[in-house]
Amino acid sequence: MEIVNIPNDGYQDKLKQAAQANSLPDTASVPSLDNLWVNQLQDLSSIANAPANNINKNLITAKDNKVLAIPSDVTAAGLFINKSLFDKAKVSYPTDPSQTWTWDQFLAATDKVRTATKSKYDLVYDNSPARIRAWVYTRGGKGFQLSGDKFAAPDATTVQALSDFAKINNDVIMPKSVWTSGADPNALFKSGQVVAYYSGVWQVADFADSITNFEWVSAPTPAQPVHATDINLGGKVVAFNNSKTAAAAKQWVDFLYQPANYTKLASANGYLPIESGLTLTYPFTKKAALDSFALYNKEISLADPLSYSGQANQTKLLLDGKATSEDPTKVEMAKLINGQQDVQKTVDNIVSGLNAGL
Amino acid sequence: MVDSDQRPRPSPGDSADRPPEPIRRGPFTRVRRRNSYVLTPLLLISANLILFALFFIWPAAIGLYYSFTSYTGVGSAPPVGLQNYQNLFHDADFYAALLRTFVYAACVVPTTFVASLGVAYLLISPYAKGKPLARTIFFVPWLISPIIAGVIWRWIFGENFGLVNFIIIKLGGDAVPWQSNANLSLIIVIIAATWGNTAFNMLIFTAALKNVPTAYYEAAELDGANAWQKFRRITLPAIAPTSFIVILLTTLGAMKEYPLFRAINDGGPGTENNLIVQYIYKTGFRNAHIGYASAASFVLMFILMIIAGIQLMINRRRES
Amino acid sequence: MTVATRKPPELRRPRTSGKTGDLPRKVFSSSIMWLLAVVYGFPALWFVLSSLKPAGDLFTYPLTLLPKHFTFSGYTQAWSSFNFAQYFLNTLIVATAATLLTILASAASGYALAKYNSWWLKGFTICIIATTMLPGETLLTPLFLVIRDLGLYNSLAGVVVPAVITATGTFMFRQFFVTVPNDLLEQARIDGSSELAIFLRIMLPLARPIMLTLAIISFQWRWNDYLWPLVILNDPHQFTLQIGVASIVGAQNVNWSVLLGASVLSMIPLVAIYLIFQKYVMNADINAGLKD
Repeated sequence: MEIVNIPNDGYQDKLKQAAQANSLPDTASVPSLDNLWVNQLQDLSSIANAPANNINKNLITAKDNKVLAIPSDVTAAGLFINKSLFDKAKVSYPTDPSQTWTWDQFLAATDKVRTATKSKYDLVYDNSPARIRAWVYTRGGKGFQLSGDKFAAPDATTVQALSDFAKINNDVIMPKSVWTSGADPNALFKSGQVVAYYSGVWQVADFADSITNFEWVSAPTPAQPVHATDINLGGKVVAFNNSKTAAAAKQWVDFLYQPANYTKLASANGYLPIESGLTLTYPFTKKAALDSFALYNKEISLADPLSYSGQANQTKLLLDGKATSEDPTKVEMAKLINGQQDVQKTVDNIVSGLNAGL
Repeated sequence: MVDSDQRPRPSPGDSADRPPEPIRRGPFTRVRRRNSYVLTPLLLISANLILFALFFIWPAAIGLYYSFTSYTGVGSAPPVGLQNYQNLFHDADFYAALLRTFVYAACVVPTTFVASLGVAYLLISPYAKGKPLARTIFFVPWLISPIIAGVIWRWIFGENFGLVNFIIIKLGGDAVPWQSNANLSLIIVIIAATWGNTAFNMLIFTAALKNVPTAYYEAAELDGANAWQKFRRITLPAIAPTSFIVILLTTLGAMKEYPLFRAINDGGPGTENNLIVQYIYKTGFRNAHIGYASAASFVLMFILMIIAGIQLMINRRRES
Repeated sequence: MTVATRKPPELRRPRTSGKTGDLPRKVFSSSIMWLLAVVYGFPALWFVLSSLKPAGDLFTYPLTLLPKHFTFSGYTQAWSSFNFAQYFLNTLIVATAATLLTILASAASGYALAKYNSWWLKGFTICIIATTMLPGETLLTPLFLVIRDLGLYNSLAGVVVPAVITATGTFMFRQFFVTVPNDLLEQARIDGSSELAIFLRIMLPLARPIMLTLAIISFQWRWNDYLWPLVILNDPHQFTLQIGVASIVGAQNVNWSVLLGASVLSMIPLVAIYLIFQKYVMNADINAGLKD
């Protein structure tokens, strides 16, 4: 059993070329499926449906009753705050997702902390289409959804939400440079000069090790009024139909998802588990990290089902054989915040961009 | 081509003397001489010729074929004639990217040229002290990959917590929007590109500078010329073919720049600093419009041929 | 058959040590050079010093140049995060092989373009220039198909061979050979040497500094190749160094201290090669064959 570590940059290209050279691996954890080789995947339904595994069915990629990919882990977007700054300013924050704050309350609190501690910004927000979905959903918008075979124009609440988002990118509340020119919000948060950071669960492992100059905690995502977030998958585990090794490949995937083994995998990698009912002991010593995982699990359980729709739409299109294009949200929002266009044009461009290959 | 970066090349401008006419000794000798002028050069270029055919013509032909189809990377490639090219010529974003690319190239070529030649000249001058260490310092920036260069330059010129703004604020000024202002952001990339590309051109200039016969300098000294005059009247003309190639290749390389922009400002703010190759990636390859991306690439190639042609003509005129 | 490789003493650069009038020149030149060196070196210095900082100190505000606590943890983690030694060896093989082949091919072509004159050679010049005019990614998939059809997929040869042709290299040699006087060539012909022998025995040795310069350049190019080796190589035992370094960059976040450590480690061999070869280039009296 040989495990090969492939860098993320270029991984998708590499799989494409490997498919064309008939040298696909036996199994892989891939960033996303590709029409080029999706018909070479084995059916994993016996593993996905096995009652002992308790796999969250919301995130399975299935087509014609065949399960083509099982997520390696669940990811969710979420909020981090600089606890040291909050404590210094003597401002309180909620700790229970069922008693979460609204965005207005959140921004008022961070304003207060910022002015009291003379920090630079209230918030930095990951520059990503997936993350912005959380903003839209929690404010009551439905985001960009498929209507039949194509993406439909979004509802007015969504448009308003995007407009509001652009407004707070004003170099006081949020720095423009993150969404307009790719500045790294992770680095900005780590400087200790930013009160809050909206990103996701994958930062926890990194923060546990590399933030040593201030205290951080995970805080509940604000709801105005909807409890939601963006729920997505880490990698997708697939097994290829390579003649000689197909059976072994499937056995490996089966082995991977047996609860005892999956527990070890999820614990070691700091995953949110795709299987429920497991007791995970993460290798983190920091209380903040452990509390963080507990908070995320609670948030996922409270989240509106809409939270799964982002990745579900992309998956559906892929399985229907459509060539997927890169989500234009990032570029269009960058233009909006940079003042190159208004919000209506932004929204129109996003919809036409999403529909470009369909 | 797998040539990782586009680098200046020595001039193809013709300063080669023609081989003198073979001595007429008899018909057999003449024929033999002329044959050797065909066979030998053919043999010499054979390696590159084969590689050229296999690894440039063949893939380029495939790419050109794609440009007349609506290939998406998967399945068949249905031909669409000139559709891709027509769409391209009607796309305002294409022209915006092209213009920005010209602006960038027009700025970065002179800065790179001056910096590299200046550094090379200093490094072979007998007057400067401590050259080995300095040589290494000038060399290192070329080794740094774009992703690290992005981190470095964002740290120095970061709009939020960058070093330069930190100093400016400490001195009482206002933070400069190095990322939010498109032109300032472009200037940062120009600085970073010059910084990174100096070593490469410096190496080429060093070899050329060392090749200038010292007899010329001696003669000039005897005539009482000072350093600047020597540089202008002897050095510059003597390395002119190399200068030409450095300029040509730096131009071609600048027109194709993308990784550095992606690392430093991601084509931003917004899309204001999207150059042509980023446009090709974004509208073409990322969106699985392989046919369209190939068409745009060949239009770019055509433009680059024109630029190279113009530079070659100027060079030829200057030499005659 | 004589070729001047060492100039008679009268023609060497005037030695200036000991002349008092040169002190202002020395001070002036040295100051400018060192001013530039500081400007060029500062960003690189920050990069190297950052690789010695613990992860928590990388982004602190206010910014620091010097590490408060020195640590090599980035380096040790980088060394163990992938099979550094093996990838290093693979990259060494690829870079050396490609460099040797590149030098030979470029020298031969450059010489042909410089010393022979035909319409088809001029045409070939245009062809060589054309190779720099298509962006890399346009050629990626088609080039991949070619490599696959040639049976070079998943081999280091598939990484080396397409990289041999280079416009830069060819023209470096061409420009150099253009400055070699044709008298040399004619004399050798009259003496009865065959054309190839002239090239191999006379011209090539003259071009040694160019060969070394191209060696430095080619080595750096192959050392830093990333996307192409990633796509071509499937067997992880053949992976090159940049693939290993890139695997440190995560999908969602980057372990910067490890990345910085790995980057510095991967740059060390290049600096070493540069120092060795460039010393030779600087000390050489290239001045090919110009004798009074």
